[in-house]
Amino acid sequence: MNPTDGDPNSRRSFLLSGGGLLTGVWIAAHWPAIAAAAQHAAAASEVPAAAGFQFFSPAEAADVAAICAQIVPSGATPGATEAHAAYFIDHALTTFFAAWAADFRPGLNDFQAKFRAANPAADAFSRASSEQQIAFLKSAEHTPFFGSMRTLTLLGMFSSPKYGGNYQTAGWRLMGFVDQHAFTPPFGHYDRQYTGFVPYTDKSA
Amino acid sequence: MSAREFKAAETVDFVVVGTGAAGGVIARELSTAGFSVLAFEQGPRLSPADFEHDELKYFFLNGLTLDPAVSPQSFRKTASEVAKVPAGPSPALYARLVGGSSNHFTANYWRFHEVDFRERSVLGAIPGTGFADWPISYQELEPYYTKVEWEVGVSGLAHASPFDPPRSKPYPMPPMPVKSSGVLFEQGARKLGLHPFPAPLAVASQPFRGRPACVHCGFCMGFGCEARAKSSALYTMIPEAEATGNCEVRTASFVFRIATDSAGRATGVNYFDLDKREHFQKARAVVVSANGAETPRLLLNSASSRHPQGLANSSGLVGKYLMFNQGASAHAMFEHELNEYKSVQVTRLLHDFYEVDPKRGFYGGGGIDARINPQPALWAMSEGGDLPRWGAALKTRIEGFSRSMVAAGHSTSLAVATNSVSIDPKLKDAWGVPALRVTYQDHPDDLKFARWLQERQVEIMQAAGARHVWRDDVAEVETAVHLLGTARMGDDAATSVIDKYHRAHDVPNLFVCDGSSFVTSGRGQPTMTIQALAFRAADHIGQFAKRNEI
Repeated sequence: MNPTDGDPNSRRSFLLSGGGLLTGVWIAAHWPAIAAAAQHAAAASEVPAAAGFQFFSPAEAADVAAICAQIVPSGATPGATEAHAAYFIDHALTTFFAAWAADFRPGLNDFQAKFRAANPAADAFSRASSEQQIAFLKSAEHTPFFGSMRTLTLLGMFSSPKYGGNYQTAGWRLMGFVDQHAFTPPFGHYDRQYTGFVPYTDKSA
Repeated sequence: MSAREFKAAETVDFVVVGTGAAGGVIARELSTAGFSVLAFEQGPRLSPADFEHDELKYFFLNGLTLDPAVSPQSFRKTASEVAKVPAGPSPALYARLVGGSSNHFTANYWRFHEVDFRERSVLGAIPGTGFADWPISYQELEPYYTKVEWEVGVSGLAHASPFDPPRSKPYPMPPMPVKSSGVLFEQGARKLGLHPFPAPLAVASQPFRGRPACVHCGFCMGFGCEARAKSSALYTMIPEAEATGNCEVRTASFVFRIATDSAGRATGVNYFDLDKREHFQKARAVVVSANGAETPRLLLNSASSRHPQGLANSSGLVGKYLMFNQGASAHAMFEHELNEYKSVQVTRLLHDFYEVDPKRGFYGGGGIDARINPQPALWAMSEGGDLPRWGAALKTRIEGFSRSMVAAGHSTSLAVATNSVSIDPKLKDAWGVPALRVTYQDHPDDLKFARWLQERQVEIMQAAGARHVWRDDVAEVETAVHLLGTARMGDDAATSVIDKYHRAHDVPNLFVCDGSSFVTSGRGQPTMTIQALAFRAADHIGQFAKRNEI
């Protein structure tokens, strides 16, 4: 039970309210950075994230992108790659999910090391064949690191584009979701033909 | 914004702690009756323009709910464990703003049935539990259920369910337009001889008391309403309380202690303002409606030499008998588009399995509703049971979003004394106030019934012609939004915290009304009953005050 910022419209209030995955200490230390990042996220919503990765090294980024691409594969329809999920993750770990970063990088590095140990001939997960990648992910799918990758990939595909993923609403279009303030019935195929509720005459109707 | 602003030295007739479903009703009723009312809210006041379609903000960044970084809670399953602060959401999760959790609730507003209030008499004792009758009957509460429907605003179709309890008036608004999930659910359930009916919802299906009708944006569950169509206290009871000229809503003000005098009466409340400055507000009486988790925390943190176990706790039951409601989902995919992401979250439900059937061999009852998928990100993330987690199988499921729905089960939790809200011995919040600790493990019957009910959900979806049905796990609850039973009402001061009029047995000018007042859990969807109790409580409290009996 505690008061929150008096002006609910301010960015400060929004970011302060977002401490579920952050600590108060972290917010105090990184305040200007998150304010700037929020502006960047808003500005980045309609442009490709060509600026490069802030959190990941090129090799890490390649592996993360490859894992994303196995979690939601591309094909006839867009997958995590087209939605810029890896860019979203990079951005998230330096801003609103920065509290995850301390566990995420060791988890990623451990994943990379175990992959190389299991596949001595392959130099990186990102350069392995899809079959090799899938086989290895099956062995890792219950690790906390994979759980984080799954959550972040899906947030990067399906949350609001203002956070840097779901590029050009690729994720929402894959789903058939339309973000709109108002709709009118009928909403779908099955309510189109509905003729009305028929009352029951008794409990054994 | 408030119509009235009390001066620091003023003694108000009533302090109400909390502006949610219960506090909003009590503030409105007592101020309408002419009493001076100061309602405290720890969070801010938001407006429709503040509410966004943003899953990440509300489900991952605590956009409306309490922030564990400043208001941590700890959790353990049993008293033998040391409670820990979980990495995920708060165990007792609620929205922190004017209107409380009535902002982000789903707005399912079915009434409890007659049996809910006397089930212990019907079934007999259940060993190891605090299973008991309520001190009031459905008939005593019925006029107040009607008041909720007509004054807060509920849409629905009276007498549509053959299992519905008696009612004195129809609903003031017709039910919301049926969605494809409702049509399929109705077809499947009727094939099985069941009795689906239009869901009662605290959502305006047509313009109502100055508010517009729902625009079907689809963002109810976990979101604030951008159209003012959801009958949240923010849009209904609170502005009406302020319009009386007798009520101030004091936001960003965190009440952390109720003060008492040497005679054992409440004298007012200590609170922190936005800048963490401490203040004292004098009151002739205090009503606590802080929710089923924060209410017991406040009472326990108000211990004094005269009340060493916490205020109003001579029974030792403050915080005990916490109930969360069980229930699991069945996910179903159909041939054609449903587009469940549009409009309200539920349009059909059934109560055929509401009552306990001793032949099953365990306690439990529930309702099943036809429900929207969670919105895109949360829906894609759903896991457990036989839901695919990644790869081509996950993508196939994702591509079926617009062809999918959920049949959701809502069921009982038994009152178990070891399930509780207590004060964590070490953990403190950002104000230095001892934090709350949740101890919770479902009674085995709660899990057995939820599993049994989930099979009925699956059968209904199969009868409706689903191409594919997936089950969620029926899991032990570790985070909940239904916060019930922690200051139960009863006639005997040794076995309850408040009397049938919501007055604390131990403190004559202290009243408690919210989910904590419940004796049994109902079958999910508690807010309708919380508000009916609040109308009834305010009615009696006002009469006591007029007769000088407080």
